Amino acid sequence: MKTEQAEITQGRKLSGIWIIPLLALVLGLYMVVHTWMTEGPEIEIAFNTADGLVQGKTKVKYRKVDMGLVEEVRLNDDFDGVIAKVKLDRQALPLLREDTRFWVVTARIGAGQVSGLDTLLSGAYIQLAPGTGKTGQRKFVALEQPPLTPTGAPGLRLRLVSESSSSVSTGDHVVFNGYRVGRVESMKFDPEDRQAHFTLFIDAPYHQLVNSATRFWDVSGISLSASAQGLTLETGSMDTILLGGVAFGVAPGIEEGDPVEHNTEFKLYDSYEDILKNPFRYGVHYVVSFEQSIKGLLPGAPVEYRGIPVGRVERIMVKESTEMSLQEDHEGQGDPIPILIYLEPGRMEIGDSDASVEAMKNNIRIGVANGMRASLQTGNLLSGAKYIAVDYFEDVKEKSIGTFMDYPTIPAVSTGLQQIEQKLSAVLDKLNALPLEDTVTSANVAIASLNQNLESLHTILESQSAQQLPAQLDSTLRQLRETLSGLSPDTEVYQSINSSLLRLNRTLGNLESVTRTLAAQPNAVVMPSDPKPDPVPEVRSR
Amino acid sequence: MAATTAASQNLAACHLCCKLAPADVHHCPRCGSAMHLRKNDSIQRTLALLFTACLLYIPANIFPIMYTDQLGKTEASNILGGVILLIDLGSVPVALVIFIFSVMVPSGKLMAMFYLVWTVERHSPLDPRQRTVMYRVTEFIGKWSMVDVFVVAILVALVHLGGLLVIRPGIAALSFAGVVIVTMIAAESFDSRLIWDSMEEPGSEDRTS
Repeated sequence: MKTEQAEITQGRKLSGIWIIPLLALVLGLYMVVHTWMTEGPEIEIAFNTADGLVQGKTKVKYRKVDMGLVEEVRLNDDFDGVIAKVKLDRQALPLLREDTRFWVVTARIGAGQVSGLDTLLSGAYIQLAPGTGKTGQRKFVALEQPPLTPTGAPGLRLRLVSESSSSVSTGDHVVFNGYRVGRVESMKFDPEDRQAHFTLFIDAPYHQLVNSATRFWDVSGISLSASAQGLTLETGSMDTILLGGVAFGVAPGIEEGDPVEHNTEFKLYDSYEDILKNPFRYGVHYVVSFEQSIKGLLPGAPVEYRGIPVGRVERIMVKESTEMSLQEDHEGQGDPIPILIYLEPGRMEIGDSDASVEAMKNNIRIGVANGMRASLQTGNLLSGAKYIAVDYFEDVKEKSIGTFMDYPTIPAVSTGLQQIEQKLSAVLDKLNALPLEDTVTSANVAIASLNQNLESLHTILESQSAQQLPAQLDSTLRQLRETLSGLSPDTEVYQSINSSLLRLNRTLGNLESVTRTLAAQPNAVVMPSDPKPDPVPEVRSR
Repeated sequence: MAATTAASQNLAACHLCCKLAPADVHHCPRCGSAMHLRKNDSIQRTLALLFTACLLYIPANIFPIMYTDQLGKTEASNILGGVILLIDLGSVPVALVIFIFSVMVPSGKLMAMFYLVWTVERHSPLDPRQRTVMYRVTEFIGKWSMVDVFVVAILVALVHLGGLLVIRPGIAALSFAGVVIVTMIAAESFDSRLIWDSMEEPGSEDRTS
């Protein structure tokens, strides 16, 4: 058996000193891990300008709590903006969402309010408003203006569309019955559809006022308009005159609609008038053709039934009319001008529904058979604005509802100057029919006899006795003057009459005192009067 | 010049009192301290401490060495940042001094020590005299690389003006002090005699005789 010799090798012994670098390594690793664990996210925010941003000084705050610091401010790659690199605290991590908003808070003095005065001393800071989208976003674009609605405020955000020019702008009030209930958050004009788009925010308890039947209108400034009803001057509250605003409400006579969702789109009407003109949802189109000048009739003009507005003029169908006139069999006939009108049963207070539309159609059909006609009337003599009046006329040819370009028609009668002409000619006809010649001959006879009478009067005046009449009259007057001269103030008669009158006057004075006593004390004739003793002043003891 | 080393005579010198005694004696017959032929695990110790210094050198340069709180505004400065700031401000000589003592000296020391350890381990035949000079310089310069730490320490102690101006030390100051201390210990645990030991080995005998 072979004994194996154990081989002894001098292995390199590992010294205990290696604990020291190991310790340093562990410590270092711990520091790295710790730093990495506590380090917050680094984000980039794009600004338009670096106004108010200071590297290493500007803070990021959320609800006034420091969330981070701007580490670096530099231009972006295109040199058309600024990128701020911000180091945030770890606690800000869940706040960084897709729609998280940032904006610079500086002192602002606006028409409506003053804010951020504390930043005058501390310098501007970046406000963070967390969103609700996905987390993990690291690059943001800052808002140019601070959002008007605080983050997470309860309420309703709506969109408005306006086709016409309006003076509503960002920050304007939204009012309901004159009370401020919200504000216009943004305003954008879209050059593509040529409409202005607004975002409104209605504060919490008031958002219940908005429903599907709500209409919005512009109450900015002062509106002055002339229409068939005359001049109208409209203003909102002082605030809205100066700053502009949007009002909303439900047009009178309309039922409240259903609640609306966020971001529902509404139309912004130009004025309250505008809404009063179109408060209804149901209506029916008719065509009225006039064989007279329609000068002064504008789209939007009212259609009235005996003074009650029942609809409006939609448009003047010039194109259709011309097309028809150009057809061969219509040449040179002078076709009437068709006017498209829109009648709303809701205005007649018979309800705003399909059923009432049918009822109205039926009514009009029977009415037309019984002489209902449309006519053109002058509403305002100053502006010459016209409207269409629907009424019953007598002595009209019997007509029924026809059709024009698929619209039912209401027959029209001519009015205005044309009607006056007709009446005038009727008067002239009557004048013509009078027996003028007979009258003239009998008048001639009467004049001749009158002539004879005058002549006989003349002969009477020419006679002798008539000639002497003035001399006799003269002598009579002279005698009268002599008689009266005897009564002049120097004469005795006058003196005695005068003294008699004076005496009479005195007697009457006495009589007056007697009557007064009698009136006060009817028994004075029988009982002696008892005059009160004179009052004697008393001495009062102190 | 033929030299006879103590090791070749199987004699070891006491680390403390330098008494020569036979190498197999474990304690110095004069002062009683432990005796070795060469310093115990010299290379390993030096190497371990050098690695430690390297590790500490990283935070010393990355983290701020001091914080200046001026009117509520805190400014952190690290070593290289301070050097760059001084150059920007035009104080090139001061920047140069800080750069030499805070960056060049510690890193140069580390590199020199690594070089020495490496050559000893490889029994490099390179000029031992030169390497000894290198070791001497490294050992001498070691204490001067604390300048940075001293500056920070003095500033922290001096500048305490309430809310107006306060200087606080950063984590890098501690790391830097660690680097300096550890390298000093590393230099101390390196046995310079090892440089010459390669001369005693066979094959290089003819060179020394």
